[in-house]
Amino acid sequence: MSDVLSASYVLVVAEVRRGLFEERNLDTIGLGRLLGSPVYLLLPDNASGVDASIVDKVIRVGADEGNFQNPLTMVSILTKVFETRGQPDFILFTHSSSGAECAAYAAGHFSLPVITDVSGFDRPTGTFSKSYYSDKVFAQFKSASSPSILTVRSGSFRDQVTRNQATADTESLGAFTAQEGRTFLDYVEEAGGAVDITKADFLLSVGRGIGSKDEIPRYEELAQTMKAVLSCSRPVVDKLWLPKERQVGTSGKTVKPKVYLAMAISGAFQHIAGMKDADCIIAINKDPEAPIFQYAHFGIVADVNKLRDKLIETAKAS
Amino acid sequence: MEIVVFTKRVPVTQEEELRILGDGQSVDLSKLPHRMNDWDNYAVEEAVKLIEKGGGGVTSVAIGDSESDEVLRRAIAMGARDGFLLEANEVLQDPFARATLTYNFLKKENMPFDAIFTGVQAEDEQFACFGGILAALLKIPYAAQVIGIDAVEKDHFVVRRELEGGLQERVKVSLPCLLSIQSGINEPRYVSIMGVRKASKVERKVFKASNYTDSGKSLVEITKWVYPPKKEGAAMLAGDVGEICSKLFAILKEKGVYQ
Ligand SMILES: Cc1cc2nc3c(=O)[nH]c(=O)nc-3n(C[C@H](O)[C@H](O)[C@H](O)COP(=O)(O)OP(=O)(O)OC[C@H]3O[C@@H](n4cnc5c(N)ncnc54)[C@H](O)[C@@H]3O)c2cc1C
Ligand SMILES: Nc1ncnc2c1ncn2[C@@H]1O[C@H](COP(=O)(O)O)[C@@H](O)[C@H]1O
Repeated sequence: MSDVLSASYVLVVAEVRRGLFEERNLDTIGLGRLLGSPVYLLLPDNASGVDASIVDKVIRVGADEGNFQNPLTMVSILTKVFETRGQPDFILFTHSSSGAECAAYAAGHFSLPVITDVSGFDRPTGTFSKSYYSDKVFAQFKSASSPSILTVRSGSFRDQVTRNQATADTESLGAFTAQEGRTFLDYVEEAGGAVDITKADFLLSVGRGIGSKDEIPRYEELAQTMKAVLSCSRPVVDKLWLPKERQVGTSGKTVKPKVYLAMAISGAFQHIAGMKDADCIIAINKDPEAPIFQYAHFGIVADVNKLRDKLIETAKAS
Repeated sequence: MEIVVFTKRVPVTQEEELRILGDGQSVDLSKLPHRMNDWDNYAVEEAVKLIEKGGGGVTSVAIGDSESDEVLRRAIAMGARDGFLLEANEVLQDPFARATLTYNFLKKENMPFDAIFTGVQAEDEQFACFGGILAALLKIPYAAQVIGIDAVEKDHFVVRRELEGGLQERVKVSLPCLLSIQSGINEPRYVSIMGVRKASKVERKVFKASNYTDSGKSLVEITKWVYPPKKEGAAMLAGDVGEICSKLFAILKEKGVYQ
């Protein structure tokens, strides 16, 4: 038993939706690889599509995803893992709705250090970088004790994933019943709308920086004259300036147009994740340091509303 | 129903160039305007809506220096009954330390609550974990990214949690519980300057954080601040407005999306 308890490993908690292994799990596994210890993957029992050659052990939990991705169940599951396999050096979750929810609750329950939205690891100093102010600066964090809990930003470490010769062994952890305090009922799909922005070749996307709802008609006019489809960032939907079906990002749509013209969008990662694969990204922002310029192919530093008026005028004149 | 809502005062950084001081010791925030964290606006609105319907009171709590009184006044102007400032002059960078301090405060002051609301994340630090840690310390259920409260019963809520890509999950959560509230769940009411001024007449209580820290030890610490890793970056289009427009149209034509 004693060498079980001194085992050194990285525990990766998988995220599974409607049975499918989410692609962002590759980023948690990739960071696990960088950390050097064997990677153990914790999986709910209804998961499919898992490539067991990219981890060193699979631990199947007797709980379906609705129960597994529940912070109250997760702390019981982790307790059992610690008892039977010893404490890992790191516990990695995706930085997503359920990943961050379980990570925080586990940190509080076990009194463990937690760093969220990790997008970089510096091996020489053993520090993890985390975004502040929507990627305007990053902080390098050191954890004072182990195990540490980290949530990992999607897209950050997937190229670190390596494949073993053989597929990993699968062990099972036993069954976990639903919790009293919180129970999963069902999934609800947001209602679709009339416009499908994922089909457009040319998206004109507006952000909070346009200023107010009163500006929207002029952007609709611009979209019409340029034959673009209007899309937007989340705050524009939250403020009811445009309907939800127009939202690009992790909690909206993932788009891949030929041209994505972003006007007054700062470039938070939840937005970038939804449009970074566009063939050509053009960003217009009055802040030359706006993070979106790091992802754009072309950039313009300007006041969007003024430039918009000129664009409409020019398009109409030609 | 008694609801405690956490409200944070944050710097507005969207249009600002942030400067890192010294050899990465700190970030200069001194000249920035501040306001209530956007997500917390939605949390206050949701709490006030609930008590307007079912009775009870909302207490807004901020952890920060004396300037944070500003967000308490705003919350009161929106309909909160009380505003409590947990006054800490040092910024607690470790979310665990911040949650522990808050836990000690709630316990020692015997704060009554049926529910605690936070925002999904603070705009500045973006940890998205303060509420989850606090809920676990309090040993109460937690649900994050709540985008709808569909049922309010004596002993439980039915809430919708936002997941990714337009999917939501409905969960039943027993009371007392802690919810993190997602933006867009409601339309936060408009608060006039007059409203805030009137709210200033409502007494806000101040508690010294030093009375509630036990070890004060942080589990994580920042060793250095750095600028974002530079990618290739964009080719910048320059010139006067007319020139920029023609360059832009030329690109659109070349990409085949504009004739
Ligand atoms: C769980 C979760 C899910 C999320 N999902 C999404 C999502 O799916 N999609 C999404 O977009 N966001 C999402 N977000 C929100 C995200 O974190 C950012 O808050 C959001 O993307 C910011 O939108 P924005 O760029 O329009 O606004 P801001 O960040 O406020 O940026 C406005 C920009 O406009 C510029 N600007 C202002 N005025 C002008 C002017 N006159 N001319 C030119 N430029 C100007 C500013 O310099 C700034 O860069 C999510 C957040 C969370 C926590
Ligand atoms: N210093 C603070 N004062 C008041 N509320 C806070 C503070 N820090 C965090 N919170 C609350 O916790 C939420 C999530 O913060 P974070 O986990 O830091 O992203 C915020 O939206 C606030 O509701």
